[in-house]
Amino acid sequence: MKVAGLLVGMGFGFVLGWSQLTDYDVIRNMLLLRDFDVFLMMGSAVVTAAIAARILRAAGARSLVGGSPIAWSVSRPTRDHVYGSVLFGVGWAISGTCPGPVAAQLGRGQLAALFTLAGIFAGVALHGYLERSTEGTAAPSRKFEVTGMGPGL
Amino acid sequence: MEIFAVRCPWFVAGPLLGLLVVTLLWSINKPLGALGGYVDTVHWIERPSGAPSWRMLFLLGIVIGGALSALAAGAIQPTFAYGSFTSSIGTTLAREGTILAAAGVLIGYGARLGGGCTSGHGMCGTAMGSPASLVATMTFMGTAVVAANLLAVWIGAAS
Repeated sequence: MKVAGLLVGMGFGFVLGWSQLTDYDVIRNMLLLRDFDVFLMMGSAVVTAAIAARILRAAGARSLVGGSPIAWSVSRPTRDHVYGSVLFGVGWAISGTCPGPVAAQLGRGQLAALFTLAGIFAGVALHGYLERSTEGTAAPSRKFEVTGMGPGL
Repeated sequence: MEIFAVRCPWFVAGPLLGLLVVTLLWSINKPLGALGGYVDTVHWIERPSGAPSWRMLFLLGIVIGGALSALAAGAIQPTFAYGSFTSSIGTTLAREGTILAAAGVLIGYGARLGGGCTSGHGMCGTAMGSPASLVATMTFMGTAVVAANLLAVWIGAAS
């Protein structure tokens, strides 16, 4: 499981670097709607994954590690998905990067990533801290899924 | 190698990323997303518990893969320069560091609250047909486009 994570991560980082999603100006030109290549890239990634994943599921494939039937769960949108994504979008626009590419930036020797990475870790830790400190006082705490596909991952 | 020194065309890079999502699904039956590596790392630092999780190794893999992409293109040349950000916003190292770290906090807190990032929601969750991912993706894409344009106007007016 860990080896698979590491290898897919390496492939992911390599493609992010090769396609220059690690460049501030590539992301900036995308968000200023001057360059649509990144939108097309994300769209074609989604279509490829959507089709291939459904073929696997329909064929009754089992995971290579563990042998469990290929499946996934989906989740309903909540207010937090919107609020969180607004904050995330602002941070993305300012920094010109997001959690995946910033890690590839570091590997490529773009040391500005050190600042962004420190901020991301702090932001994730802050969320955990605030969630814990409001536990019991506010509404019952919810478990946040990480990838938008339901808890228990 | 020359092929890695020029930007990979979207119609190659996109399907490759999509296939990586499916590779992870087929190998360990897990959804791909970068944010999970950060979440697990924070948990691990707060409460060290043995070996790192697969999501932490996935994040480490992205760093290694980024390094390999630079090596394949030529060499790794460490620099604090960050494209036009350095000339427009982060004009000194202190400014660059402060603004990027603050943006990072928004990214980390926002993605955690929103349940995912560009890879988790934008690529994987959307491909799996999760309504939450679709809403999150449209929200952060729309917000980022508006914010980037406002920022460009602001910088243009200030200079």
